Amino acid sequence: MNCYESAICQKIKTMVAESENYIDLLYAAPCIYTRNILLYQLKTKMNEINFLSGMICCQVNQIQASPTELPQQNQQNQRNITLQELAKFNGKDGNLAYVSVIGVVYDVTNNAAWAAASHFGLTAGKDLTSEFASCHACQPILSKLKIVGKLV
Amino acid sequence: MSADIKQIKNSWEVGLMSTTKTCPEYTARFQTASDLFIKVRDEIKRGSLVKKNLVWLELTGCSGNIISLLDGANPDFKYLISQMTDFVYDNSLMAAEGEKAMEQLMDITNKEYILAVEGAVATKNNGLYNIIGRWKGETVTALKAITMLGEKAAHVIALGACATHGGVSAARPNPAGCVSVQSVLNRKVIKLPGCPCHPDWFLGTLAHILLYGEPALDSRDRPLLFYSTLIHDRCPKRSFFDKGIFAKKLGESTCMFKLGCRGPVTRIDCPIRKWNQYVNWPIEDNTPCIGCAQFGFPDQMEPFITYNTTREV
Amino acid sequence: MTQRIVINPVTRISGFMEIDATIDNNTVVDVKTEGLLFRGFEKMLVGRNPFDAVYFTQRICGICSSAHSVASTLALEAAMGLVPSEQGSYLRDMLHGCEFLQNHIRHFYQYTIPDFIRLPDKYPLYITDHNDFRLPKSKNDEIAEHYFESLDISRSAHEMLAVMGGKAPHNHGIFVGGITTQVTADKIIKTKSILHTIKQFIVDRMIPDAYTIAQYYNDYYKIGGGYGNLLSYGCFNAYKELGNLYVNPLVYTQGKVSVFNPGEIIEKIDYSWYQDKKNAYKPMDTVPEADMNKNKAYSWVKAPRYNGMPYEVGPLARQWLSGEYKNGISTMDRTIARVLEAKKIADIVSVLLKSLIPGVSVQKKYAIPTSAVGAGLIDTTRGALGHWLKIDNGKLSFYQIITPSAWNLSTRGNDNLKGTAEQALMGTTIHNFENPVELGRIIRSFDPCVSCATHIYYQGEFIKSIQVVP
Repeated sequence: MNCYESAICQKIKTMVAESENYIDLLYAAPCIYTRNILLYQLKTKMNEINFLSGMICCQVNQIQASPTELPQQNQQNQRNITLQELAKFNGKDGNLAYVSVIGVVYDVTNNAAWAAASHFGLTAGKDLTSEFASCHACQPILSKLKIVGKLV
Repeated sequence: MSADIKQIKNSWEVGLMSTTKTCPEYTARFQTASDLFIKVRDEIKRGSLVKKNLVWLELTGCSGNIISLLDGANPDFKYLISQMTDFVYDNSLMAAEGEKAMEQLMDITNKEYILAVEGAVATKNNGLYNIIGRWKGETVTALKAITMLGEKAAHVIALGACATHGGVSAARPNPAGCVSVQSVLNRKVIKLPGCPCHPDWFLGTLAHILLYGEPALDSRDRPLLFYSTLIHDRCPKRSFFDKGIFAKKLGESTCMFKLGCRGPVTRIDCPIRKWNQYVNWPIEDNTPCIGCAQFGFPDQMEPFITYNTTREV
Repeated sequence: MTQRIVINPVTRISGFMEIDATIDNNTVVDVKTEGLLFRGFEKMLVGRNPFDAVYFTQRICGICSSAHSVASTLALEAAMGLVPSEQGSYLRDMLHGCEFLQNHIRHFYQYTIPDFIRLPDKYPLYITDHNDFRLPKSKNDEIAEHYFESLDISRSAHEMLAVMGGKAPHNHGIFVGGITTQVTADKIIKTKSILHTIKQFIVDRMIPDAYTIAQYYNDYYKIGGGYGNLLSYGCFNAYKELGNLYVNPLVYTQGKVSVFNPGEIIEKIDYSWYQDKKNAYKPMDTVPEADMNKNKAYSWVKAPRYNGMPYEVGPLARQWLSGEYKNGISTMDRTIARVLEAKKIADIVSVLLKSLIPGVSVQKKYAIPTSAVGAGLIDTTRGALGHWLKIDNGKLSFYQIITPSAWNLSTRGNDNLKGTAEQALMGTTIHNFENPVELGRIIRSFDPCVSCATHIYYQGEFIKSIQVVP
């Protein structure tokens, strides 16, 4: 199991514990309104657990379903990109939008959260490792992005 | 007493002792009639509208949220002040002026009240960049007013981008040193970001408080009732995004992702609720969402409109 | 015996204000109008994407935000050398007209009426102890009912704005080239229908109510006049096919009308805490640096002047300069002019609606120039509004905004000419020192929308007031 999957599993464990807590509270709920609020929270937790477990299942499925894609992906993963080259992929003047996090370069051109090649004041064509760490440290985001190379 | 009866009595006593601790029927008998009465009375009140006092503080902002409130319908402003609350103070609407107006504000601190606050808090020069009144010869800065009113309120609802996170008032380089309401209060503040706050978001949150108590909030204190889902996930133009059909200029009916739409990072129900009696909303008007209801507006949502972008992929 | 009256807050205005008046023999002999809110929009705009200014400047004000989107759009179009199509102009001006209607109805009923009409005090908001309510009970209560009726009407003016502009307040839709939405038949008929209701209300309720109040408070035709100089940048004019629907850029000085020349606008900082090479400059020249050590200065206001004189802007100026209303210049005249203007705007919007062609797209793909300069001058809800901008390296490098309230609420210059509203307050007789209702009534007739100001206090010294234009 790679480090993403173990992070996801850890998160699922935490959520199951939280759900159990809600169920305990439900037993002691004094009125229908508190009960409804708790049930709403429980439902939201269930959805989140479902989503996270889906990510692990999906990853497994992806690898199983398209083995032919793997070599190509590996080739792309190997492409070396320097910081100066990365700066050109700033999402302006018709250029694609790339960002790098922890040494991996991702293509965010058509990523919904990167409209106008900017995200919460950050612009593309840069290394955003520290910004990513301060905002999204425990979130399964990078595994969903398209890898286009390695930062050298 | 024979040994058998003793034994039965013993076991009965032991049984009684254990059941008195767990048997609800037994414990219920210990509730007096008055306890029962109080419980029943509270149950009746829950779900029925109990009028509370409402104070509306305008601080360092454009006062657009009170205008937005006046745009509310069902419930509208008249219903708000007659059936939902005793609306006690607002700079834009109250008949009294000067010291007499401030008196009404000071008096309310002795009673229970809900505080709605719009606008950021100017902190430069100890708050002297925004003065909201004079009381007994002393200036009352926005900073002083919010700390005084905020700590004592039963609930504090910060509405509008400026109150929730500084918004436009705190835009770089923030000449007046504006900060959010939460940063000057040491208590929970319900946050309703938006520029301005839609009247329904405020009135719905207020109604929840009056009917059922504080609504369910997310990790950033926004009511899940309104702020649960990203605009992108409920956008009518989503199919264009998924197929990669993007607008090249404003006024086109396809997806405006390439023009800078912030729908994907903004968590609010505009696509469903729309604006001004549900007639329209920015994206339906063929302009991109500028993320006004998300933390980070405006600095982190810029550029709002851009034509210089990535090529079609 | 001189006494001092300080009213703070002046309620029922947009923003925060203090009136500091010196009274001698029951008459105002000196007065300062002080804005109490500072945010610093001019500094904020530097370095931003030029198109963003259309949205950003809207946030200067919540009740007239469309005004700023129009002015910044005009400034951008001037900088980019763009001329919007005729249809684009109609649509944009229609949205602007909706904002006028919302503002005037709210200003008359929500802001002005509580000064003259006793509203039910079962609502704590309307509790007041002044007793200068002169209307007989039946007439008073009728207008009080209209107060509540007007809430629906002004709300529907914003609904009308949202039909084409996406949302209100802080609408979308207005942009360089015109507006973004393509108008369709259903949008047109929706707008027409709402406009019909609004117009009926203005004619059947608002105008008669204003004249009823004027009848019982006719002394206010002689109070709060001021200099009597009026100015307008023009609005709803210069259409290629429709010509002038309202008022051209004109000035009224000491009884004479002349054409407005934008080159004659200056700002003075004689008594303002700024430092610059000159104490008076043109809008495009400079945004001076703050300097609180400046000798004699008592305020942050940069006093706008035309030909060296303070001027009044707003509905009265427009009604006068267009020839529609020339009864007089006073507190009551300002209020009457505002309600009459509401009807005029409703008619203008009606004409624009008739001229719309459905399905015409007015938007293009626009390129930001590397360097450019532009100014947008337009008359809007409260009067003359100007945005002056410079673009360098594709970003805003300079932004100057002079709001109508800066004209009306300006402070004095080194010629000792007081600001417009200050002058209007001078000489007013105060009948009841405990409830000096005259002051608030006069100030509110200007429909103040305080942009930004700051108050600095030093222990034990006379209060210095500071106002900064955003």
